[in-house]
Amino acid sequence: MLGILIRKELTATLLSPKFGATFAVCAALILLSVLIGIQEYRAAVRQYDEAIQLAAQNLRTESSWMGLSTHAYRRPDPMQLLITGVNNDVGRASGINQVEDVKLTNSLYSEDTIFALFRSVDLTFIVSVVLSLFAILFTYDAVNGEREGGTLQLTFANPVPRATFILAKLLGSWLSLVIPLLVPLALGGLVLLLSGIPFSVDQLERLALFLVVSLLYFTLFIALGVLFSTLMRKSSMSFLVSLSAWVVLVLIVPRLGVMAAGAARPIPSVAETEAQVDAFAKDRWEAQMQAMQSRWQQRQEAMRSLTPQEREAYQRDHEHAWTEDDAAGRRDVERDIDAFSLRVSEDFRNRKSAQERIALSLARISPASSYQLAAMSVAGTDISLKSRYEDAMRAYRSAFTAFVDKKQQETGHQGGFRITVDSQTGFHFSAPRERGTLDVSNVPVFSPPQSTFGEMAASVAIDAGLLSIVTLLSYAGAFLTFLRYDIR
Amino acid sequence: MLRLIIEKELRDIVTSTKFAVTFASCAALILLAFFMGGARYHADVARYEAAQAENLKKIEGVTDWLQVRDNRIFLPPQPLATLVCGVSNDIGRTTQVRGRGELSQNETRYGDEPVFAMFRFLDLEFIFQIVLSLFAVVFAYDAVCGEKERGTLRLTFANPLPRRRYIAGKLIGAFLGLALPLLVPVLLGCLLLTQMGIPLSADEWVRLALIIGTGLLYFGAFLTIGIAVSALTVRSSSAFLALLVIWIAAVLILPRSAILLAGRAVDVPSLDDINAKKFRYQEQLFDEDRVKMSSFSPSSTGDMQKMVGEFQKFMTSISDEREKKMDEFSARLNEERANKQALQQSLALGIARVSPSAAFSLAAEALAGTSLTLKDHYLQAAKEYQQTFAKFMLDKTGMNPGGGMVFRIRIDDSQKSAPINPREIPPFVYRPMTLSEVLPSAVIDIGLLFVCTLLFFALAHLAFHRYDLR
Repeated sequence: MLGILIRKELTATLLSPKFGATFAVCAALILLSVLIGIQEYRAAVRQYDEAIQLAAQNLRTESSWMGLSTHAYRRPDPMQLLITGVNNDVGRASGINQVEDVKLTNSLYSEDTIFALFRSVDLTFIVSVVLSLFAILFTYDAVNGEREGGTLQLTFANPVPRATFILAKLLGSWLSLVIPLLVPLALGGLVLLLSGIPFSVDQLERLALFLVVSLLYFTLFIALGVLFSTLMRKSSMSFLVSLSAWVVLVLIVPRLGVMAAGAARPIPSVAETEAQVDAFAKDRWEAQMQAMQSRWQQRQEAMRSLTPQEREAYQRDHEHAWTEDDAAGRRDVERDIDAFSLRVSEDFRNRKSAQERIALSLARISPASSYQLAAMSVAGTDISLKSRYEDAMRAYRSAFTAFVDKKQQETGHQGGFRITVDSQTGFHFSAPRERGTLDVSNVPVFSPPQSTFGEMAASVAIDAGLLSIVTLLSYAGAFLTFLRYDIR
Repeated sequence: MLRLIIEKELRDIVTSTKFAVTFASCAALILLAFFMGGARYHADVARYEAAQAENLKKIEGVTDWLQVRDNRIFLPPQPLATLVCGVSNDIGRTTQVRGRGELSQNETRYGDEPVFAMFRFLDLEFIFQIVLSLFAVVFAYDAVCGEKERGTLRLTFANPLPRRRYIAGKLIGAFLGLALPLLVPVLLGCLLLTQMGIPLSADEWVRLALIIGTGLLYFGAFLTIGIAVSALTVRSSSAFLALLVIWIAAVLILPRSAILLAGRAVDVPSLDDINAKKFRYQEQLFDEDRVKMSSFSPSSTGDMQKMVGEFQKFMTSISDEREKKMDEFSARLNEERANKQALQQSLALGIARVSPSAAFSLAAEALAGTSLTLKDHYLQAAKEYQQTFAKFMLDKTGMNPGGGMVFRIRIDDSQKSAPINPREIPPFVYRPMTLSEVLPSAVIDIGLLFVCTLLFFALAHLAFHRYDLR
């Protein structure tokens, strides 16, 4: 009997014009999102390659190790073409130098603000908004539609156990909606493969995980639709309730949750924390100035009783030591400022993650946000993207500045310009410049951080678990309600 | 007869459960948007003032104006921006202003706090654009075909009723029954804003009224589309399906895809490329200046202070020259980019405007002052402030080094000069856009909404003229 009922479900759904139209629309949208994603990814890769080349070129044309700086860039990830997440909101580059801390700036949306107007249409958007709407609109009258049409009575004129019927409904509606969905998804996958974008094994595994989570999300809405159809007598009522539930769950709750967290736990703005670091830096450089001044006075004292020739000789002998002392003083200041900056930004980050935890917990009330969070974790475009890259860039900055310092010491602090002010000989300006360029072949290069599959799976598990629980509860609810349903 | 149709429509709508449920939820959402917008505005203002205070605090205790190299200015939060977010969270709000040099705007809201970028905000624009349009679809989809199915269409036309009156009556009745009640939560929301102490100038109230008006016009446009589709179909379920597809296409898909497809069709020179060119040119200019600096010799070698003073003046003069050349070069590159961006914008937005949803978004954002022009407006204000700051620095220290090298000599430590008063620095006063500035761009989109409504109204008329009433 179960088999017959499931077959009936399948034919009823697949042969309806409703199905043909919605399936065509879903297929078109999935393909559209994949094509747009591919285009966006190619543009991002082009931009990244150009930027890397320019940075390398700039390094090659430098002729002094002093104050050498470069940029580090975020590498575009093919997963981002399916799941944009916050990829376009987080800065894609940071300056790397001895003075300033790492800060990601120049996000796509801040540079090319026109793309921020309506944001992206990625596969996650299509699944979370459009597919869920269609799922719920196909199943909202699964049971009460049959009751209103009179076919429910006819079915139960046969010796059909209630449990079998509702099971057939659940399975049949799932099969008839999910299996056709696999066709455009497979087509999308084919388009991806044919586009020539290289996917590593790890990324293919993530893609598979993303598909599984998407299907789970789709199933949830099918279950919700069937649940509403068993809870309400009239299909017009369940239609209204299903639609409202969709609007609330998919559109409203995610935004509300985040907004509430923002209001509940406000954090200081980045400008404020930067001003704190600036204030500390100013004080520190002041102290350094004082120290340098007293050193200069000491040196003048030591030379006071010498003749001009002896003075020159003395200066030449001590020049190297003096430069070393000054440089050491400068390095101390930079180290102190770095440590302070790190403390401030860690404090800021802790408060921010407290706020984020609240925001995400509130948002997770909605399965749509659970799904989006899971998808973003899989693609690595969730909020950890920013901290992951900032940490990696900080490590790179230490390596880079250590390398530059070493080179500076080796070549004897040449470059820049030197201004000597002497109370007796007056002003002397020299700009010794290396005529050649630097050998930058050993300069450390930034390698983008990877999040391991294990780390990512842990965070996806929470959301996948939430989705599964809600689906199972809906199915159980539909099942139990139907056991006491009035069939007439 | 027309009046009777309108009355019937009104009664039909207002007494249905559908109306009670959807109206209650829309009202709740609108009030929530106003409330959260107000709360966010207060929080943003608190952070803005804290940032400003920190900014001044960091120069406390400084004894020499020469040590004040720059001033950080911030884009102040605007009340309308919390109701219609637009791109206000995507543009940089902090600008480090030096006496000379190019300005860059950093620290976007979404970049600093990506958690808000994930799901963004529930603002008035979102409610009108997405929720209200769905609301319109749900009510209008069975306007004609639903009545046919129920049999009441036949009965209505048993009376001497011209067909054209019917569609007009339906539309007016639906609009009055649905849009006017929405004014109640909107007005309550505005009252809430005043209670929360959000300062809105008269100009901003007018703009808010226009935004609401445009929202209602957009709602009316979707009602018309719904009635037109319903007059084209026989079964209400197929009408609903068709309308849903239209809604998804117009509201969710078309604006985004248009921007992404057309936006990439125009090749805009990337900022990386431009910055690299500027950087190289600047290096070149610095190199030339090194030669000049080496050939500097002070007029007398006795007085230390005088020597340094002369050197500073010399540096300022070559800085001025260098800046002039740099400005010319940058202006050329920036103009090229701006032209390409303008082309990109007109192409992408032109295609997107086919959807009434995009037209509404653009109109609402333009009126709220959070459209793409916000970025340029802020940059312009920052540039003007740069002039003010440069003049101030010149008055205080006799030179305007900008971010460049500053040479100070302190001979005698016992000479403790008095700390400067940070409050002397001229404050950055941001003048928000006025109605007359934003209206021209908003008018285009409002006009488009009118045209859309008229078009679909005509379509509904034509379709209904050949409709089988039985």
